[in-house]
Amino acid sequence: MSDDLAIVLTAGMVATACGLLGPLLVLRRAALLSDAVSHAVLPGIVAVFLLVGSRAPLPVIAGAAVFAVICVLLIDALRATGLVKVDAAIGLAFPALFALGVLGVTSFAKGVHLDLDATIYGEIAFTPFRTVELLGSELPRAVVLLSLVSLGNLLLLVLLWKELKLTSFDQGFAQTTGFSPGLVSRLLLIAVAVTAVTAFESVGAILVVTMLIVPAATAYLLSDRLVLMVGLAVAIGWIAAVVGHSSAAALDASIAGAMGLVASACFVLALAFAPRNGLIAVAMRSRRRRARLAQALAAGAERG
Amino acid sequence: MDWLIELLPLSYTNAVVLIGSVTIGITAGVLGSFAVLRERSLVGDAIAHATLPGVVIAFIASGAKDASTLAVGAALAGVAAALLIVGIERTGRLRPDAAIGVVLSAFFSLGIVLLTYVANFNNANQAGLDQYLFGQAAGLLEGDLVAMAALCLASLAIVAALLRPLRATLFDAEFAGSIGLPVRALELITMAALVVAVIVGVRTVGAILMVAMLIVPAVTARQFCDRLPTMLVAAGATGAVVGGSGALISESAALPTGPVVVLVGSGAAVCALLFAPRRGVAWNARRLIRDRRRAVTEGVLVDVETALHAGPPPTSTELMLASGRPRRALRRALRDLDRAGILERDGDRILLSEAGAAAAHAVLERRDLWHAWLEYGWKLELPDAREPDPSDLRGGLGDAAVERLRALAASEPTQ
Repeated sequence: MSDDLAIVLTAGMVATACGLLGPLLVLRRAALLSDAVSHAVLPGIVAVFLLVGSRAPLPVIAGAAVFAVICVLLIDALRATGLVKVDAAIGLAFPALFALGVLGVTSFAKGVHLDLDATIYGEIAFTPFRTVELLGSELPRAVVLLSLVSLGNLLLLVLLWKELKLTSFDQGFAQTTGFSPGLVSRLLLIAVAVTAVTAFESVGAILVVTMLIVPAATAYLLSDRLVLMVGLAVAIGWIAAVVGHSSAAALDASIAGAMGLVASACFVLALAFAPRNGLIAVAMRSRRRRARLAQALAAGAERG
Repeated sequence: MDWLIELLPLSYTNAVVLIGSVTIGITAGVLGSFAVLRERSLVGDAIAHATLPGVVIAFIASGAKDASTLAVGAALAGVAAALLIVGIERTGRLRPDAAIGVVLSAFFSLGIVLLTYVANFNNANQAGLDQYLFGQAAGLLEGDLVAMAALCLASLAIVAALLRPLRATLFDAEFAGSIGLPVRALELITMAALVVAVIVGVRTVGAILMVAMLIVPAVTARQFCDRLPTMLVAAGATGAVVGGSGALISESAALPTGPVVVLVGSGAAVCALLFAPRRGVAWNARRLIRDRRRAVTEGVLVDVETALHAGPPPTSTELMLASGRPRRALRRALRDLDRAGILERDGDRILLSEAGAAAAHAVLERRDLWHAWLEYGWKLELPDAREPDPSDLRGGLGDAAVERLRALAASEPTQ
């Protein structure tokens, strides 16, 4: 497998895993959960380093995953008190965990090269060099891991589609019809945490944050149907992966950054040209409405 | 500023850090309240991340890693991010969290691309530009303090002067627009003030921790205040206390300032969420337990009254069998009733005292009235449509309405 193909495939699998969950987060007003998780994992990495003394990928992923899950459950619990909104709950939980991690680094791990760049903030350019043996062929480890995560997310969506849809759109109604919105949303949050942690390790935090939010927000501008939103989010993520990779090569710039910029460009295009919710469509609609009103008023005046 | 630094019984560096933290606490507390109430708490996160491309562009443009040049670049990028967030939200489809997330991702991606661009030009001087995001409280200078205090005072003065229009815009933008307030301009003013607070804070406590400084005081103050002016004052005070105590603790424990301040603040917010009177989780749990216990006690009182009507005074075992209540709940209720002087004992048989009979009658009467309200309430044609308080129907409806309700219930007996 060529290096370029490996990088694009890795980013594409990140796009798939994130695109499946992103639209649900946007609908639940929790788009920034990914950013929260990306910071909240630090104490987990520090704790693993202190306990095991290693920066091997698997223990680090496990430690990070524990704190990612703690973070999302903490946010869910804060929100469930009804005293703070989701946004404030996110903003209360992750800086506290991040601060714990920073304190851990400065007081126990001084002098050791243990920072976000080196551990959890993976670099997508290195994915082709870390491979695993599978079915007799060498595959990049990130692609294999992320395919598994995508499969898990797809399974979650297929099995709990109705419940997820119901609880995303109308929590109160879901509760009165006997579903448990708390359980479903906790499952979704845990899926987000696991996805984010696995993806951070291979491609770096900013690309994951971007892939969870930007394609989903773009899809939300383009469609009113959840199925279509999920499909569009995955597709836009893949476009960002492919176009981002080739433009990064052309500009000799950061691959993750270029992919993020391409995704953002897709968002800007959708914001301008979306068929019903785009700026141009909205402006045209309001102009037509104004013209019709003026016409009706003129007709009324003639009739006297 | 000299006199203040000398006034404090601390070393020069520690005094500067303390004053800086308190200043940031006050500013972020007051300005963050607007963001939290507007469900835009994480705007600070986006602005903080957006400073990265600003810093890199300022570096490319000036070629120097001078703090004030970088701060200007950061501020400009922060303003651009804030404007974009407001603009995206105003198109109507996307909510604040998605708008903030998109802007955060776009700016940070741009920042990373620009960083690699700078690195490609072999400029050795660029190392550490991304460290700007992490902040360095110990690096504060007296000159920074003066600038911070000036910005703090200016933004507080703006908030104080515009409090009424800001409040109208915050709680009901459409109403504010309809009475002729410049809603967009007011919104931009709060955003600009927020950018200033974040830029000042990022230098000192770092980007991530600045997010908490905006949210913690507002959430804490909100648990104790129901009015915006008092909440703003309380948030400012909370910010000052959190910043000050965090700085002092970090100095005595020789830990970095930012994380300690944030942990102190998070602790304060959690305590407020748990224990705030009338709103806190613990407070509500206690009220729930108390209400349940009162309901059981009332039920047992009615059980005793019913049993006395039906036959000889009951024993507590007979009461338990008749009502099917768990033994422990029953025993506790009887103890509560005993303590209130409502029960009289005849051996192990239970009687009602005079006060007890009156109390039982009052409960039964209230229940009858409630049933009558549910059945015939719609016939009353009350002047206002509010639901009355079930525990005090007479107080809620007034004596005249209660008499009519009685009459209705008496004239149309249910089977």
